[in-house]
Amino acid sequence: MAVATDQVTLQVDGVSVTVPKGTLILDAAKKLGIDIPIFCSHPKMEPVAVCRMCLIEVEKMPKLQPACAIPVAEGMVVRTLTDKVKQYQQGVLEFLLINHPLDCPICDKGGECPLQDQTFQYGPGASRYDFQKAHFDKAVPLSDKIVLDRERCILCWRCTRFTEEISGERELALIKRGVHTIIGTFNDEPAQSVYQGNWTEICPVGALTSRQYRFISRPWDLDRTPSVCPGCAMGCNIQIDSRHNKIGRFQSRENLEVDDGWLCDQGRYSFPYFQRDQEFGSPSIRRDGQLAAVSYPEAVAEAAARLQRAGSSAAGWASPGATNEELFLFQRLFRETLKSPHLDHRQQGIHETDPEDIGLPIADIERCDHVVVLGGQEVIDAAPVLHLRLHKSQRHGVAVHRVDEVKAGLAAVPAEATVVGVLATAARRADAITLQNQLVSKVKGSVRRLIVVRGPNGRGAKDLGILPHLGPGYAVLNGRAGRPRAEWPKAGIRALYIYDASPLQEFGATEAELDWLRSLDTVIVQRFKPSVLDEYAHVVLPGRAFPEKDGTMTSMEGRVQRIATGIDAAHVWDDWRILQAVANAMGAGWPYRTSESIFADLAKAVPAYAAAAPAQGRVLWGER
Amino acid sequence: MSDEDREVDGKPDQPTPLRGPDEGVPPHPEGKRPSVAADITALATGLKTTLGEFFSPAVTLEYPEDKSPRSERYRGRHYLRRYENGLERCIGCELCAAACPVGCILVIAAENTDENRVSPGERYAKTYEINMLRCIFCGYCEDACPVQAIVLGPEYELSDTSREKFIYTKEKLLEPLPPDVQARLDSKGPK
Ligand code: SF4
Ligand code: SF4
Ligand code: SF4
Ligand code: SF4
Repeated sequence: MAVATDQVTLQVDGVSVTVPKGTLILDAAKKLGIDIPIFCSHPKMEPVAVCRMCLIEVEKMPKLQPACAIPVAEGMVVRTLTDKVKQYQQGVLEFLLINHPLDCPICDKGGECPLQDQTFQYGPGASRYDFQKAHFDKAVPLSDKIVLDRERCILCWRCTRFTEEISGERELALIKRGVHTIIGTFNDEPAQSVYQGNWTEICPVGALTSRQYRFISRPWDLDRTPSVCPGCAMGCNIQIDSRHNKIGRFQSRENLEVDDGWLCDQGRYSFPYFQRDQEFGSPSIRRDGQLAAVSYPEAVAEAAARLQRAGSSAAGWASPGATNEELFLFQRLFRETLKSPHLDHRQQGIHETDPEDIGLPIADIERCDHVVVLGGQEVIDAAPVLHLRLHKSQRHGVAVHRVDEVKAGLAAVPAEATVVGVLATAARRADAITLQNQLVSKVKGSVRRLIVVRGPNGRGAKDLGILPHLGPGYAVLNGRAGRPRAEWPKAGIRALYIYDASPLQEFGATEAELDWLRSLDTVIVQRFKPSVLDEYAHVVLPGRAFPEKDGTMTSMEGRVQRIATGIDAAHVWDDWRILQAVANAMGAGWPYRTSESIFADLAKAVPAYAAAAPAQGRVLWGER
Repeated sequence: MSDEDREVDGKPDQPTPLRGPDEGVPPHPEGKRPSVAADITALATGLKTTLGEFFSPAVTLEYPEDKSPRSERYRGRHYLRRYENGLERCIGCELCAAACPVGCILVIAAENTDENRVSPGERYAKTYEINMLRCIFCGYCEDACPVQAIVLGPEYELSDTSREKFIYTKEKLLEPLPPDVQARLDSKGPK
């Protein structure tokens, strides 16, 4: 007598497997390592069974069944290797290829194309179709990011389902019927979505391809490096695909806790900012009003001499695009070597911060019953992939309230809510805390917040004390606090060190600040690409872009993730090496030879990082 | 061979000589006694071969003035072909580079535009280079090419004076094919 449980046992190709109720046959087979070919099925989307590639035999069912859409049942007997199944697989592929151009040699998907692979594995050796294939225009621009080749489209609906189920924007649709069916946008208007890059990744053929990556490389020529997106504080995992030491594209690298496998276009298509497409100048020193090229040691000596003269009236600004290792050294350079407390990583405004800002991990949004997005679109623009998580949560029954005012947020959440989340940007952190406090007294459950900071390592910059009033690990600086960036022009600062690590999170000087820069005795600029600041600099120290260095970054939810060197730029000094050389020229005596050795010291100074980094987990500030 | 094999009972194992130092010349085999007639016959036989060869036509050639004919399928230096309308055949697909067992082909593709049309269709080879020092003339590239753009011609005299000159660029590879090769391809190959 079978006991009623939520487990189901079935047989696939003569092997039994036990899976939870409601599992699809496809996934049950996958658990046994049995591959059933698919095109339309996607693990993140509802099954539609339109491509018919996954047809398999199920005992006692008269016709073949789509494995991607049929849930398992107790005692089911599934066969995936019978002659009948093979015959159908060949038939389906033959039909798909009737109008498919098979122009693999010029197709950007060639080499990583499921249609190519499955035709080799399951398809008929040759075509019997002698008639004219259907013809459509090639390479139709769908937007400034994507081209669509309708001849190659196999109508799997993955892209249309993405815009419906994953992003909720409903931008793509199937137009017309039968053999005339095409994919398109409403009225052929350019697609607006900021998630278009994902369409190219889920399209199982080369119908949707990136314009930026067009004909750049063949997949087998690419060097792949795991990294983290430099776009925003979300911390989506990416893979840097490069060829001949040049970045070719950024691809997603699924991390279910963070990005759920998706990227936004802002991050994905940001790589030209980080491309070393020419040489970006050697270290230089201003002599008689002109920047003169010198060697690294000379520039470092000059920078150190100038900083030493300014001493504790030197100020330092580091970009929230720098790695934790660099920020840690930057902080030590100022607090320990120069004895100056004037550190900052922020642009305008003085945003307070504390570890409670990471109270709600990204993945936990799905486990809330109410989420208030304070600022609505503003929050999404600051971390676009967050929208996909919110939309997913919404589909699973989480009530998401996009509000502008604290009052509206408070009204939206009913008193019986049990798990409540508040999301806001750093600029509205104060409002978020007000809302959180009011919600705590209103609802019976817990209320946690997540603040979207600026820059991929904005959180790390706060954790490591690139702040005038807090040291590493939010250590309180009794009476030794410095002045924030906004007050520097009036604070008697004599030298400014700008570490402009990322072209996406620049110093961004205002007009007034530029005037102030001109009046300063010393401006030291450490940057990747030439910038407007070079004009004001007395010493320019060229460093590396994020794909050229290794280290760790802390995302807005406090997840410490590793970036690796994907592009070789050995002729340019590593940024931490420049910082160390400047400090050592003033007698600091730092011994670091790798970024790992810096991290070891960082973990000693901020113990919460010691546990988080090896597992790429979140920083837990509990034992502080 | 291990040490035990080489030494038996402490004595080095040396090959037995065919003839001992004091064994002298062996006797003639039965029935083959030396004779003057036999010597003259042997001389004549030798001279016949020599003179026969001397007056027969030579098989060697006066290279480099004369050259031996080569098979139609001979695999010498490469050429990139063009269509009759002057467009390049190569579509920059990199399949030749993928097939090449020594990895001596470099293809960097780019997109055709209406202003700058290099080949029919969407894609062309912006850079096409073969490192002839590495090439083993296997012809796989020719086999792999979907549009019969790259072919191996009959030339084999490829010596040059610097390594750089062995990197054949697109300009060099696009030189017109020798007429006989062109005629053969036109008669057989797909258009
Ligand atoms: S989509 Fe795949 S099968 Fe079709 S042309 Fe491109 S690579 Fe070939
Ligand atoms: S464009 Fe690609 S993803 Fe969209 S329906 Fe066609 S094949 Fe599927
Ligand atoms: S002939 Fe062979 S070795 Fe030479 S380029 Fe072609 S594939 Fe490579
Ligand atoms: S020569 Fe042929 S195989 Fe090589 S890139 Fe050109 S078209 Fe492709």
